[in-house]
Amino acid sequence: MAGKASNIQLWQYITAIMLIFLLGYHLVQRLPWLYNVSTYDQTLTSAIVYHQYRVGGWALLLLAYVALFHGLNGVRNMLFELHQGRIYNTVINVLFWIVFIVFSIIATVTVAKLPPI
Amino acid sequence: MGSVDKEVELKNRKGFWRESLNPWLVRAKNNPERVAYVLHRVTGFIIIAFLLAHILETDSPVWTQYAPINGLTAWSAWSYIMHVESAWYLKIGEFIVAGSVFFHALNGFRLLLTEFFGVGIGKPVEPKPPYEAPTLSAPQRTWLYIVFVLSIVLWAFSAYLIFG
Repeated sequence: MAGKASNIQLWQYITAIMLIFLLGYHLVQRLPWLYNVSTYDQTLTSAIVYHQYRVGGWALLLLAYVALFHGLNGVRNMLFELHQGRIYNTVINVLFWIVFIVFSIIATVTVAKLPPI
Repeated sequence: MGSVDKEVELKNRKGFWRESLNPWLVRAKNNPERVAYVLHRVTGFIIIAFLLAHILETDSPVWTQYAPINGLTAWSAWSYIMHVESAWYLKIGEFIVAGSVFFHALNGFRLLLTEFFGVGIGKPVEPKPPYEAPTLSAPQRTWLYIVFVLSIVLWAFSAYLIFG
């Protein structure tokens, strides 16, 4: 389940490349002048956020999966540096997958079950 | 591993805290790479903590239908959460996250170019004294300074957006 260290790092780079585009898209969504509003807070109104989910919900969902994997895998990498033995590594791996799967499900539910305004 | 080797290994094994903190200890004098290395980790921690909270927050239009906040459900609850988050002290947190994202992204892009694509480090050659790592060459350090400067510029821009 742990996989080779080189594979873990390879996935870290692949998800990083994907994040450049996906996170860039998500950050641009907070620029007020793209939505004809004057402040950053106004880009977070329910109407605008709902519209963003309708138009690019799939990209936001992909961003959630990729960011979760990249972030949790980074933490897992750092925890592996402590070299506390096989049981410790197994616990770290199990926790990684539990947190990744639980939060991925929550993100999926957000997009799939989003109520209309 | 023989019993003698095992004994020597155990005698020299670092304690949990020493081992844990070892990669984080900074010798920052004339060593911006080391500063960037630690900052990349610290900002990574900040971002993953925010990400987990952000996923729960953005799911609020869904979960508040089953567990209302102050009697508010769905998009009313979302508006309420956004109102709470517009407090100045929470905006400072948002500002810290923005700075973390910009530094982590730009430094990560630099690492991608260098470590993954091998840009700017030349072809592999036989090591010769004084054994300087190609990743510490002058252009690499210039890239690092560009990352620091761009991060500060973008962080200032995010302050304009968040507090403006």
